[in-house]
This record gives sequence, structure tokens and C-alpha cells, in this order.
Amino acid sequence: MSGTRTETRTETHCPYCSLQCGMRLAGRRAPEVSAWEEFPVNRGALCRKGWAAAGLYGGRERLTSPLVRDRGTGEWSAVSWDDALDRVAAGIRAAQAAGGPDAVAVFGGGGLTNEKAYALGKLARVALGTSQIDYNGRWCMSSAASAAIRAFGLDRGLPFPLADVEETDVLVLVGSNLAETMPPAARHLDRLRERGGTVVVVDPRRTPTADRADLHLQPVPGTDLALALGVLHLLVAAGAVDASYLAERTTGWEEVRDSVASWWPERVERVTGVDAHEVRALAALMSGRKVMVLTARGAEQHSTGSDTVLAWINVALALGMVGRPGAGYGCLTGQGNGQGGREHGQKADQLPGYRRIDDPAARAHVAGVWGVDPDTLPGPGRSAYELLDALGTPDGPSALLVMGSNIVVSAPRATHVTARLEALDLLVVCDVVMSETAALADVVLPVTQWAEETGTMTNLEGRVVLRQRAITPPAGVRSDLEVVAGLAERLGSQASFPTDPEEVFAELGRASAGGPADYSSITYDRIRDEQGVFWGGKRLFADSFAHPDGRARMHAVEHRGAAEQPCADYPVHLTTGRVLAQYQSGAQTRRVRSLPDDGPFVELHPFLAARLGVATGEAVRIATRRGEMTARASVVPTIRPDTVFVPFHWVGANRLTNDALDPASRMPEFKVCAARLSPVEEVAQRPSRDPAA
Amino acid sequence: MTEAPERVVVVGGGMAAVRLCEHLAADDRFAVTVLADEAVPPYNRILLSAVLEGTHPTDALTLRSAGWYARHGIDLRLGARVLEIDRDAREVVLVDGERVAFDRLVLACGSIPTLPPIRGLVRRDGTLDPRVHPFRSLGDCRRLDAAASGSPVTSRAVVVGGGLLGLQVARALAVRGLPTEVVEGADHLLARQVGPAAGGVLARDLRRLGTEVYTGARAVRLTPDGLQLDNGYVLPSDLVVLTAGGRPSTALARRAGLMVRRGVVVDHTLTSVTDDRVHAIGDCAEHRRRTTGFVPPAWEQAGVLARALRGEEASYDGSRSVARLRATGLDVAVLGDPERAEGEVVEVTNPISGSHRRLVVRGGRIVAAALVGDLSRVGLITQLYDRGTLLGPDEPGRLLLPESGAGPAPLPDEAEVCACAGVTAGQVRSCASVGECVDRTRATTGCGGCADVVRRLVEDSPTPVAVG
Repeated sequence: MSGTRTETRTETHCPYCSLQCGMRLAGRRAPEVSAWEEFPVNRGALCRKGWAAAGLYGGRERLTSPLVRDRGTGEWSAVSWDDALDRVAAGIRAAQAAGGPDAVAVFGGGGLTNEKAYALGKLARVALGTSQIDYNGRWCMSSAASAAIRAFGLDRGLPFPLADVEETDVLVLVGSNLAETMPPAARHLDRLRERGGTVVVVDPRRTPTADRADLHLQPVPGTDLALALGVLHLLVAAGAVDASYLAERTTGWEEVRDSVASWWPERVERVTGVDAHEVRALAALMSGRKVMVLTARGAEQHSTGSDTVLAWINVALALGMVGRPGAGYGCLTGQGNGQGGREHGQKADQLPGYRRIDDPAARAHVAGVWGVDPDTLPGPGRSAYELLDALGTPDGPSALLVMGSNIVVSAPRATHVTARLEALDLLVVCDVVMSETAALADVVLPVTQWAEETGTMTNLEGRVVLRQRAITPPAGVRSDLEVVAGLAERLGSQASFPTDPEEVFAELGRASAGGPADYSSITYDRIRDEQGVFWGGKRLFADSFAHPDGRARMHAVEHRGAAEQPCADYPVHLTTGRVLAQYQSGAQTRRVRSLPDDGPFVELHPFLAARLGVATGEAVRIATRRGEMTARASVVPTIRPDTVFVPFHWVGANRLTNDALDPASRMPEFKVCAARLSPVEEVAQRPSRDPAA
Repeated sequence: MTEAPERVVVVGGGMAAVRLCEHLAADDRFAVTVLADEAVPPYNRILLSAVLEGTHPTDALTLRSAGWYARHGIDLRLGARVLEIDRDAREVVLVDGERVAFDRLVLACGSIPTLPPIRGLVRRDGTLDPRVHPFRSLGDCRRLDAAASGSPVTSRAVVVGGGLLGLQVARALAVRGLPTEVVEGADHLLARQVGPAAGGVLARDLRRLGTEVYTGARAVRLTPDGLQLDNGYVLPSDLVVLTAGGRPSTALARRAGLMVRRGVVVDHTLTSVTDDRVHAIGDCAEHRRRTTGFVPPAWEQAGVLARALRGEEASYDGSRSVARLRATGLDVAVLGDPERAEGEVVEVTNPISGSHRRLVVRGGRIVAAALVGDLSRVGLITQLYDRGTLLGPDEPGRLLLPESGAGPAPLPDEAEVCACAGVTAGQVRSCASVGECVDRTRATTGCGGCADVVRRLVEDSPTPVAVG
């Protein structure tokens, strides 16, 4: 932490969540993390994962040679890069010869840099000619994205800097546990409260974030939409809506107003399990004050997720808050590049610049940058889950290239998805370690990781930041951009695929020019000089929205509830989420020795624990209609008694989750399904066997 | 294949009718006509007492604007009163003589308030005494609102009926500052829902809030001096609100020869047992010998009927009822029928603090409950009741007890206090100051949530002494 030598310190950003905290790295081989106090998003603060980021290096598990797996014996052998890429190209050609261009699919990730996301989309559309590309961000922010586009005509997670949180009067966090998922962001809550502001948290669990709230509502998972309707009902009744704002800046208010007339607090109580007086307390807090509503995965990862977000957007619009300083609506994105990852063409229905792939003008523009005929670009393909569900089926792809995603751990209904991966003729995975998904592959390509490579990320505020190369990658690995270029070349692509990130970024800028997310004026130098550059400007919607008429569109939405409701066989709600010391599928963090890894657990209320006769530390089996797992019990009074929680960083949780999809965003219902618990008697007693394993 | 849409005629413009319209709105196989006898578009009737109390303006009650019906091809006719149903011709006859043809007829006529047998309510010319107000429609509500705030200044109100509606109206009037009294013929308040102990808690709450309650007393006569009770009291009053119940509106059905007992008798698809082209939903329907007076069953019935009309599998098997009092200062939730449901009773009564909480449990499941004066965990208990969750033997009792108020235990040295930096209480205690702790461990520098705990731990632990 204190160095006597002056050495070069590289300014860069944390390898994990969407906050993209600034940090400095020193050292050439194993980097040492130190604070970058001046970077405005985190002002030097880091969480445990960030401080331990250097632990990603030096592990024996790092892959440094391409590997191919013999399907007969299951044995891996190291091969040269040329050999590996030749095999992949041959497999792709064979698949497409038999099944046409869409026989090959691409699956990306929300952790990839903008440059990689862009290159991957271009690879799919130009070199592979396939429509079958999507990414794991579909399982992350897509409901909020879909809702924001419908409401505002534009989706940027937060349309204002995160620090604006401190300027509001009432901050309503719906389904966010930012104190554990992006800890430095929680400092804003404290400063807001020091200023006299009020924090409200809506979450079925009393999380460390809820511990900092003035009001915590604990709804049944999957009922945040009904809560929003109930709040708006009371705001209408109290005359708290901003009639002139609604008249001047929105359309659709009348129908929305009518739709909430039947959501009185006692009805909301029956649906959400939140006491009516708490619903009234929330509405009273929001009346006549500056209000900011932020949603996160808890509200969004539902089969009604996009409607849920629309319902909360309606609340913010009705109060006249969207576009006002220190107020409005925002989505707290999750993955490191959750925002940029969805803007540059790895989404099934989009081209770079957040353009629609079915828009002829967008196709012409992007095809022009790529030097190809617009008619050769494929149309929209399947969404992430639908894509995986189709793998190896007669109509689906028979080959898949995966970059930046550990599908086996992170997909819903994971047992089924794993079977689909196993049904492929060719699975190619680019990764830094032998992840659970890589272990199923025919070819694994070892790639560079954070700090070994340069690239931009777009954080939750729409701030484009630069992760700079700080250390030398191990011999034998290549960057994802080099993999893309190597494949494109072997497939005879006419378009060029540069491998220098800054060059790719400049091309991305041209491709995005004029689109909703226009990066054309952003350069690496500007990012360095300005501590990140916001695309579209620092604050959006002050004067108008991105629809042609400049108005926000309000949509009347109805509560439908979770796709799967508890029943006699599966009597409790299961919800999933994150813990502080781990990240996503754990492929990175579980290999960092200084981060605690106690394995998965089932969090349950003492009432439920007493019903089952289990105590903290004892093993419980949890089952849903799709699968089961065993983990140790964690008995806490902070969760709803009718709900259990399992973190999703370990294999197992997503065997349980439901693959019901949101009709608009195609988001799977990760956040709620019906489950059954049963005690596991003897296993827990035996010290020789770890019940969590 | 474009067949002529089926003509669905709905008699009544209440909450059941609107819910049916919402279900059928997107379906062009139906041409829906709603015959609503009130002059305003259908509204949320159950919030009328909130309008009276002043928490809701009347326009916040409108369920769907007139434009919504038009946009969805629904012919909403306001002020349309039905005179007869001509089942042979499949037409309904309006009072102005117009005939409206139907393929399907849905009776959603609701209920009509009953006039209690009080002499002097109705004057010789057949009109109500001007002091008397029924409370069923928005018109009733507006007239009562005007009377309660009008001139000459109203001095005292009496609410006849100590049921849910009566208590809501009484509280609404009292919140407005009007001296208000409640008369209930049964020996305790809310007698149809709860037992005497709970009723007693409510009466005491009301008195504490300034509203006198007369139970076991019937109003028998309205005189110029006021309302006379059968126990001899005369309650001086210039406002008498009638909330003592209603009965299903069945006159049309009866005259049309449909089977009617208390309500229009329907089967599990909400179809009249007499005529399979006629249906009934909501307060006017009788299913398995039961009528209801609540919105949720009416909505469930509307949903089932919509599916049945579309030819889908649909069956109505009765509803779980949850009655919630919406009145400032009175806390009541009644789940099912806690006085008559069979099962084991778990009850916690505290007459000193004024709470009565009763769960009726059968086979490990909550089958009924009454929560009066203390609604803690009402949301959870309702979920467990609605979902029929199987509880453990101790759970019903624990549900009724307050959360344990034990203070935080002292943190053991191995407890993690700073999750961001992975710092234990022991590590913090070994530091002499917060500053040292920050430098050595990075505690408090992440999310900042542990700052208070760290300060306390450092201050409470003995200053480390250097040992030579």
C-alpha cells in the first residue's frame, strides 16, 4: 500500500461490476492495486473484489495454450493456435454447408469491452453471415432496456451521473442490493441521508442496502409491479402528480391513470404481502418531493420485468421527475460492460450504435462502414435463452462460439441448457480458465484478460471509460480481437478486422455515428483527459425525450404475477442473487484465493427453518420442477418467511431457476420460482463430507 | 373466416362489469354493450368512503375513461335502465322502450341497499326523509358529502349499521370533524365477521377516537328530535346514514323466469341454471348457495366467465375472501369466516393495548383469521391464507407474537464487520484508532456501511498497551 519507489502506475478500472471503479495498477507481472482517488465514480473506494483483483494472476489454472477435446475419450490436448483456429474454421464451414449460415451461433457477454462486443457482432454478421448472435446481457438489463426504449425512446442505464443520487430528496431502490453488489456506490446513500434525504429499499430480503434505508418494503418476489401501481394510485388520489409536466412532456397518461384506479392499498397488500400502511407511507414520502427511482435485477429479472420497469417509470413520469436535476428514473446495470455490451451489435436485434437491425437506414449505414452490401446483413436472430434452447435441434444451430460467458452456471434451467450445449457438433469457448462451460467445449481458446489488454467499458452511468493494459500477458494467449480476426481471415471475409483496440474503437465510433448511442466523438485521449466520457451528454431528457415527438410515452401495464406460483408440492418462493465477495458465475472470483469462498447456501427465515427442523450450517435440499441442489442453511430473520434465497455464483442455483421469458425483453424469470425444501439428515453430521459441495 | 361477433350485453356498470369488459376488450369475437344505470362511467365503488373521508377525489375512482370503452369497441351506455329481459326474443327492453338484442346476457346488477325497518325514514309522499342517506353509489356519496359539509351546518351524524361499510363511513365523517355515532343491532360491531372480543376492541377504539357506539340496539323511529332506539335512547341527529346491508338485485331475473334464490342461481361457469345464454357475476350471483358482497370474488367470476365465453376451460370454485377495513385509525383484517370456520383456534388478545388476533388453523393451514387493532404481519398472514401454506406446529403462535426485541449481541472477534475489505471485529479491536484501522485493514473504505460499528469497536476496546 505504500511504496518507497516511484514506479509507473497505470490508471484503469476494476475487472468486475458496472460501477467500473477507477484504480491504479503497478507492477509488470503481478499487478498491485492502489487507489485512484481522483476518479469521480468511486473516489478511491473499492470493495473486496477490487482490492483482490490482482489475485486473478499467477494461478496455475490459467490457460496458456489452445486445447482440443477428443469426444471419444474426453481427453484434452494442447494444439497450436493455427491448428486450433483451422479446426474451428473447418467446423464452421462444415456446419454452414449442412445447415446454412444460421447453423453457426455466437454467444457474447456483458463483460466484454466495447471493442470486443463490436468485433463479435461484426464477425457474426459479416464473416459468418449468421443472425444467431446474442449475449448474457439479455439476462441482465434487457427488461430495463426494453422499458426505457419504449418509454423514453432511448436506453442509457442511468441518464445522469451516479453522484446525482445525493441531490434527490427520496431515493427509491427497487430490487437493488448495491451495498453488496457495487459497494462503493452505497456511500452515496449515506451522503444523501446526511443531507436529510430519505432512502427507500424494496426487496424481499433485508439486505445491507435495506439496513441503510429509512423505509424498507418486503414484497413477495414478482410483485414489484403491483406495488408501483398501488403507489401511483395513492399519488393520483393525493393530487401529487404533475399535471403540466404530463400534459407537456408525455403521452398516454389518461390510460395509465385509469389503470391504477383499481389498485387501492389493501388490494396491493393482498397481492404483494406489503402491509397497506407501508404502501401509504411510501406514497406519502414521494408526494411533493424530488424523487429518484432506480431499478435493478430484483425488479427486472422476471417474466413481467419490462412491464415492472414501465410501472416504476410511470411513477417517475407522473411526478414530473424525469429530466429534472437530481431526480428521475434509472437502471443500475450489473455486468462490467452491461451498458456498452448492449450497444454495439452483439444483441440479436441490434447493430452498432444501438441501432435496430431491421431498420433499413441503420443497415445501410453500418454496411457502408463495413464495406459490404446491406442486403448481405442477416436480420434479427433468437434471443439468448431461445438461442441456447435451439442448439442442436433440427432447426437450431449446430455450432456455437462463446466469448465472455459461462453459460453452464449462468443460464436459467441450467440442466436443460447444458444438455443443449452437449448436443452441438462444435462448441468453441474463449476463456482465461477452464470454466464449467469451457469444460464442455471441443476447442478452448485461451485469451487475454483485464489488465493484459486495453479496451473501453461503458459504466452504469453511460460513462465510457478506458481499461489500459498494465501488465504483459502470459506467453501463448491471444486477445479476443485476435481470435475474431483469425477466424474472419480463415473464413475468407472481405471486411477487415483490426486487432488494435484503439483502431477498433475508432471504427466502432464511425459505425455508431448518428445512432442512439453515438460514440463517434469519443476518443481514447478524451477518455483519459476527461476521466471518462458520457455518450449522449452528461444528463439526458432535460428538454425532450428521444421519441420523434419529443415526449415520453406512458404505457398502462397490468400485474400478472410470476409465471410459477407456489403450490402444495413447491410451497415457497425461491429468489436468487449475489454475495459481496463473488462475481457472476465465479469463474474469476472463485479462483482468487484471498476472496472467501464458502460455497452456496440457502437463506431462510426462522419460521421456515423451524418447519423443516434445520439450523444454520445444516444441509438442506432445495428442489424445483427443473432440478435440485443441496447446500447449507443460513437461517436469518431478514428474509420473508415464505421466500428462500440462493446465491447464483455456484453451479446449482440455475438448475432451479425458471426459463419463462418476458414477452418484450426475452428476459428469463431468474428472480422467482416455486421451490420445495427438505432437510438432509446425515450428510451434515459427517465431517468427512462437505455438505456444501 | 369472419363471423359476426357475438353480442354480449352486460346489465350493470359496476366493478364486475368493467372487469369483464377488460377481459373481453382485446377480443374481436365479441361485441360488448354495457347498460349502466348510473350517469357516470363505472367507478371504484369500494373507495367511496375514501372520497367521503377526503383522501380520494372522485375522479381518481374512475375505472376506465369513456374513451377507453370507445377505443375497444365497447358500447357503454350510461343512464340506461333495463325494464325487462325478453328471453324468447333474446332482447332486453330499456325503460325508454328501446330493445337491445343479445346472444349472451350477463347480469352484473350488483346489490341494492336494504332499508331497515325504521319508522319515519320514508315520508308520506314516498321519498326519504332529507336527513336520511343510503350509501351505495357515487350519487349517494356526493349527496352525503354535500350534506356533511353544507349549510345549515350539520351538527350530528348517526350511522345505522356497524359492519365494514358502517365503520368506514363513521370514521370518514368523524375524520371530517363531524360528531358521529354508530348504531348496531347485534351485540357487537362487525358481528358478521368477528367475535365479541374483537368487536369490543373495535368499539373501544371508536370511542377513543370520539365516536359513540350503541350495540344491541335497534333504531326504530326517526322523529324530528332524532333517531330513537329500542332501548329508549334518542340520538339527536340531522344526518342518518344507512349502511345496514344490501341484497342482491334480482328483480329483473326473477321477472324473466330465471331461477333465483337469494341471488341469480349460476353453475361453475357462472351460467344461469335456467338459461345457458344468461350469466350472472358479482353481488347478484348465487353460486353454491352463496352470494358475496366483495370485489375480489366478483373479479374472479368475471375472469372465469370471460374464459367460458371464449370457449376455454373455466370453472369457478368459490373464492377466499379477505375483508380489510379502510378507515383511518381502525385496523381490521378478516380472512374467511373466523367465527364459523372449523379448526383449531390460536388467539392472542390484549384488551389493555386493544388488540385481538385470531387464527383458525385446520390441518396445519390457516383457514380463517381476524386481526383487529394490530395488523403486524397482515401481508404475510394473508399470503399464507391465500396460498394454503402448510405451517409447522409452532408457527401460528409465532405469527401472532411480536418479533423478538432482543438487542444486538456483542460481536465475537471472528465476526466479519467490514465485508468490503474482509475485516473481523477482532482485527478492528486490535487497532488503537479508527484512523489506524483504516490504514491497516481498509475497513470503512468500501461501501462505508461499517463506519459506525468500527468506531464503536475501537472506542469500546481497551487501548492496546505496548508490552516491553
